[in-house]
Amino acid sequence: MTKNLVNEYRRRFLAGLGLMVGATLLPELSNTQAADVTARPENEPASSHKRWGMLIDVKRLTDGGAAMVAACQHEHGWGHDPQASAEQQAQWMRVVKVTDKQTLHSFSLPVMCQHCEKPPCVDVCPTGASMKRADGIVYVNKHTCIGCRYCMMACPYKARSFVHEPLKDQKPHSPRGIGTVESCNLCVHRIDKGQLPACVEAAPHAVIFGDLQDPDSRISQALKASGGTQIRADLGLNPQVYYLNI
Amino acid sequence: MSNKAIVYSEVQQSGWGYYGVLMAGMALVGLGLIAFFYLEHTGHYVTGMNNQIVWGLPHVFAIFLIVAASGILNIGSIGTVFNNKAYQPLGRLSGLLAISCLIGGLMVLVLDLGRPDRLIIAMTHYNFKSIFAWNIILYNGFLALVGLYVWAMMDHKIQYLYKPVGFAAFFWRLVLTAGTGSIFGFLVAREAYDSAIFAPLFILISFALGLALFILISYVLFTGAQRVLSKDLLKRKRYLLALFMGAVLFFEAIFHITALYAAEHSHFEQFILSGASGYSLWFWLGHIVLGSIVPLCLLLLPWWREQVSSLLGAAALVVMGSFIQLYVIIIGGQAYPLTLFPNATVESSFFDGVIHTYTPTVWELMLGVGGVGVTLVMIMIGVKVLRFLPVSLATAASGDIE
Amino acid sequence: MSAIFKTLKPLLVLLAGVWILVGCEAGPPPTNLAPAKAKAAQCVEPTADIRKNHMAYLMQHRDATVLAGIRSKQYSLVECINCHVDPKRADGSAVHYEDRDHFCASCHTYVGVKIDCFQCHADRPELANQTNYQHKLGSAESYHFSHQLGTPAVLSLQDLQTITSGGVQ
Ligand code: HEC
Ligand code: HEC
Ligand code: HEC
Repeated sequence: MTKNLVNEYRRRFLAGLGLMVGATLLPELSNTQAADVTARPENEPASSHKRWGMLIDVKRLTDGGAAMVAACQHEHGWGHDPQASAEQQAQWMRVVKVTDKQTLHSFSLPVMCQHCEKPPCVDVCPTGASMKRADGIVYVNKHTCIGCRYCMMACPYKARSFVHEPLKDQKPHSPRGIGTVESCNLCVHRIDKGQLPACVEAAPHAVIFGDLQDPDSRISQALKASGGTQIRADLGLNPQVYYLNI
Repeated sequence: MSNKAIVYSEVQQSGWGYYGVLMAGMALVGLGLIAFFYLEHTGHYVTGMNNQIVWGLPHVFAIFLIVAASGILNIGSIGTVFNNKAYQPLGRLSGLLAISCLIGGLMVLVLDLGRPDRLIIAMTHYNFKSIFAWNIILYNGFLALVGLYVWAMMDHKIQYLYKPVGFAAFFWRLVLTAGTGSIFGFLVAREAYDSAIFAPLFILISFALGLALFILISYVLFTGAQRVLSKDLLKRKRYLLALFMGAVLFFEAIFHITALYAAEHSHFEQFILSGASGYSLWFWLGHIVLGSIVPLCLLLLPWWREQVSSLLGAAALVVMGSFIQLYVIIIGGQAYPLTLFPNATVESSFFDGVIHTYTPTVWELMLGVGGVGVTLVMIMIGVKVLRFLPVSLATAASGDIE
Repeated sequence: MSAIFKTLKPLLVLLAGVWILVGCEAGPPPTNLAPAKAKAAQCVEPTADIRKNHMAYLMQHRDATVLAGIRSKQYSLVECINCHVDPKRADGSAVHYEDRDHFCASCHTYVGVKIDCFQCHADRPELANQTNYQHKLGSAESYHFSHQLGTPAVLSLQDLQTITSGGVQ
């Protein structure tokens, strides 16, 4: 009996010690990006209990997001289609330089699909190919896209591109092909494996990625602490990409 | 179908005139098909369309023909729905023209898809939130209804269907044109569009355009087949055309003036109405002066109005003006950049913040005229094999003057 | 010499004809199973089954993946290609679906099946050492260029708060 009590005491002490250590470590741990996305078992569907979002601190992006764009390009292989003219070249993500008309204050930020909660591109698509996945990621199901480009007309962010020519040797994890519309898919193939989107990984000092539905996630915390601006919030589409310092 | 006196017959002419037009139509279809197969093979990079101007000349042709289709059916509806006996003998022809125009327009729309091979998906996967999907249903329903309508006019056994189907077709066509206009009306992000007025505006355009096209085509068909068009009917059409054009102008004026006052649309309005871009020139010279004012003068001023040639000239100008109007709406509307940040200028490698340019290539033109060719061929074959054309309108019309 | 050739000519023609006929009788060309067999003894389903039903598996899985996000490997097209196709032939040239010796093309050309999958999907595995697989004009250098900037690698919450409380303009 006594022995047991001692044991129990010791267990509690150790647990308490562990908790204390944990408590001090916790913020540190959660500061790393690695904890922002966790792998989902591969035969499980995406869950509506998650809603992926992104917070980009424009001030910390010393290059205006150029490295993020380059990472996206490298990941998905767009932007160098051999035949397309400059206007026809796909751009899933681009750096936009913004200059205030009155103050002439200017800054640059990366703009891509903003993954709206109420995406106009999904509403207008005649075949339902433009879709929002359960976890809030907006992309094109290229298996049913007929290439009508109505979604491109509807997108307020000009986030979508059309593939104007036959392609070869695409990235195996990011199929793209003639006659379909494409856009940032928040790197679904990476998120599903528990990895961060390529652009987020390329700018760890300036971007927080995570689950907007989890109040304890780093991104929710950061948004609570500092707010965050959505582009064209006035349209009421509630995008999942937030910016700081714009 | 009260006019038992009207006799219809197939077109008997089989000389150079008839076959010449038919061959010309087929040549246009051929051009369209060449363009289609070429585009299917190379992709859209050979066109002037790009990621900024995503809908180009083919879409102008397609929407032009679709709007015309619904408008042309009005001729039949005036006879059926408004019980105007003078127009009733033209009901069959109006049905044929409507079906032909719609199929021509749809063909352009379909052949311009990025993946026309997946048309079956468009027919089997419907997203009922999409106006586009609704339009697919509306177009198919229109073809079915107008087909039945024409059948009811031709076959005495189902004559009892003539009235109900005629009414249904009329309301269906109103919804259809409203639907076509709403393709643009619901685009929240585009300053040029995003306005509920597009539905009624398109309906009015269809009235004017449809009537003008009908005047031209029926004139060519009747004179070509050496049949008599009633002078009286031409006169009625003249006033109707003037009325419809007035309505279009009135609606456009409201549309542009309200847009000028609404802060979020005013920049675009300035761009279209007074911009240095070519679009304001097209708008004022092509659509307003040549497409509206000159034809109105031809129709109404006492020096000209009695002549058939001025009616035909006016109709031709209206057709051209409507095409330009649609071009300005569709292309001009896309040329104006999206607003990412109000009160700021933006620039990027993706052409943010700049007026987009569009230069159609010959392939797009070929695709577009291919649709016109389909319409032409269908009309020519239709009047040859079935009894669409009345032998003479003179009696019917003169017996009907109030 | 030419006399011999003349007498042999009918024979040669006959032989050629026989050879062509034999070719017709040969049935489907043998599929190139060498790359797969080097990696595994068995396909993802018994051979008879996969031969007959691979399209159904693929179609079902593609919707499961794209619509729902299910990422199981068994019927993944990327995995089929990884196992069945070598990035290059022995002579170093690339194998594409348009070529008859591509694993997926061998039967399809024989039975006249047309598939559009490889208009988008890569028809051969990505080469590990070729960082810039798709294009010559590349961004491989700039990929990690943000790491070379003097900024801290990770943005901490405290960092964030100090920045933002400092100056949101
Ligand atoms: C791990 C390697 C591997 C993967 C992954 C794999 N296969 Fe196979 N596959 C094989 C092997 C090995 C064989 C030969 C089996 C035998 O010898 O009977 C085979 C045979 C086949 C055959 C029959 C070929 C013939 O000549 O009859 C087909 C068809 C096939 N695979 C299709 C697929 C498809 C489709 C997929 C993806 C869903 C796939 N395979 C995935 C290894 C693989
Ligand atoms: C227009 C482009 C396109 C075409 C054509 C296409 N796909 Fe896909 N496919 C995609 C994209 C994009 C994905 C999503 C990739 C991702 O999210 O990882 C995908 C995913 C898949 C997946 C799930 C991912 C994997 O590799 O397991 C399968 C299976 C698949 N496609 C099969 C097919 C088959 C079979 C065909 C031909 C009948 C086909 N696809 C044609 C673009 C295309
Ligand atoms: C053993 C021969 C064989 C091999 C190897 C093979 N296929 Fe097939 N495949 C067929 C046959 C036969 C059909 C046609 C079945 C039918 O039409 O009923 C077919 C049909 C298909 C279809 C459906 C086409 C349609 O439109 O219905 C797809 C998709 C497909 N194959 C993908 C693949 C892929 C991907 C591979 C390579 C991994 C592959 N096949 C390798 C024999 C083969």
